[in-house]
Amino acid sequence: MTQVPDSRHMTATTATRVLGTVALVAVVLMGLLGLVVSPADVVQGQAVRMLYLHVPSIWIAYGAFVLTSFSSALFLFRSRHRHDGGRHHDRLAGSAAEVGVVFAGVTLVTGMLWGRVTWGTYWQWDARLTTTVLLFVTYLGYLALRRLPADPVIRGRRAAVMALISFVNVPIVHFSVDWWRTLHQKASLSVGRRPEITGEMYWTLLYSTLAVTIVASWLIVHRYRVIRLEELRDEEALEALIASRLREDEAQA
Amino acid sequence: MLREALLVARKDLRVEWRSKVTIGHVAPLALLVLVVFAFAFDANAGLLEFGAGGLYWVAVLFGGTLLIQRAFDVETEDGNFDAFRMSAIGAPSLFLGKSLGVFIQVVFLELILGPGVVLLYNVRIDDWVLLLASALGGTLAFSVCGVLCGVMAAGLRVRATLLPLLLVPVLAPVLLAGSRAFETAFGLRAEAGWTWASLMFVIAAVHTAVGVRAFGFLLEEG
Amino acid sequence: MSEVTTVATGWGLSFVVVATYALWVVGRGKTIGRELGIGGREKLEPESDSSKPADS
Repeated sequence: MTQVPDSRHMTATTATRVLGTVALVAVVLMGLLGLVVSPADVVQGQAVRMLYLHVPSIWIAYGAFVLTSFSSALFLFRSRHRHDGGRHHDRLAGSAAEVGVVFAGVTLVTGMLWGRVTWGTYWQWDARLTTTVLLFVTYLGYLALRRLPADPVIRGRRAAVMALISFVNVPIVHFSVDWWRTLHQKASLSVGRRPEITGEMYWTLLYSTLAVTIVASWLIVHRYRVIRLEELRDEEALEALIASRLREDEAQA
Repeated sequence: MLREALLVARKDLRVEWRSKVTIGHVAPLALLVLVVFAFAFDANAGLLEFGAGGLYWVAVLFGGTLLIQRAFDVETEDGNFDAFRMSAIGAPSLFLGKSLGVFIQVVFLELILGPGVVLLYNVRIDDWVLLLASALGGTLAFSVCGVLCGVMAAGLRVRATLLPLLLVPVLAPVLLAGSRAFETAFGLRAEAGWTWASLMFVIAAVHTAVGVRAFGFLLEEG
Repeated sequence: MSEVTTVATGWGLSFVVVATYALWVVGRGKTIGRELGIGGREKLEPESDSSKPADS
């Protein structure tokens, strides 16, 4: 084994256990608030409850992708100044992207169901939905790139550049899709306008955002640790392989 | 830097000229795609004419992806990247050179696809200048994005599937802008053709800047 | 689908997606941790508090 890592930092720590418990409680409370306590909307009826999941999820997805881009930039441009060669940034980028993809998926599912009730169809070529689905696939590609077996530094660089390309592309995608939809279809777009959210609904939405943020942070922290474990395992497997080759050579000699 | 880029592009085109894959394989395949679209739309002349701009760019995407794949296969098969690393050619020049090589090949592809669309889908061209400008912008954007994503998938066992997965989301705005600009050039839409065309030039410029800056990271050894 | 069923489906699906992902992350961490002999059983045990996020 390369080094014996401090087990406390590899799996659960007291801090993350507390964070996990808080996340669980927050989510139960969010369910109560969103599904039971808060009232149905005058215009949208029960469908408004979908937004308590939909809006926080997209916020987390975007936030996570920003974190990925930021960490990737640090990995590319600042790694020489770090004793771990920037691996910390690489892991953070990877775990954030994965969590971002999960929540982008949640956004799409809840958005389509919300659309079914409000617009009458699962899919409208709404600018936001279209941008989100493109973003979702972009980061699926990024994750596919990360999963490839390769030298961790080379793979990290490729992934980081891809993250930067995606980051640059997000405003372009958003702008072009938005422009495409608003240029010709003003009427159909305003049909599905999201309602003004006020009062209890506003507080529920705000609270849900907090709860989902806690859950996402917990997920990112754990995924980060698991990525580190994966790296350790790969290194160990490599060392074992080298050792066994050396033994073979010695036996032959 | 530009001279080195030209060297790289010339090398690529010479390799291409010897194998004639663009003319021999990719162009006929792309034409076939145009025919298959007619199946999809049940040879409905109105629909085909209306969709001609988008179908053109989808066919370019399809054929162009194959060209990019090939442009990197010829490098990795012989370990050329190691040779580049040893030679004095810098990463930015290599990026620009590869992009130029791909660009010229895609232009060839489009010279065959363009008449194909006009003849098969019965399209009338209203605005030649807009048509050529948007074809130029779209092809530039396609080439630089393609080379950026292509080098990322280069040499991997899964490159054939990974490249399109990386490339298509990045190119989505180009496909959108290209389709809209062509519609205007075909006289099917009144407005905004030039704005869509300029958007493609902006995309090309942005990704060229990214590529020039980042290509080095993709070639460096661990 | 009625509004209530749609809302239930949305929350239910989201819950399943996030919970499955959380369990996968924790499970993977445990498996690799055990392979590497890190943490020991008493360290791994408390981590089960993690099978939690999401809800409905």
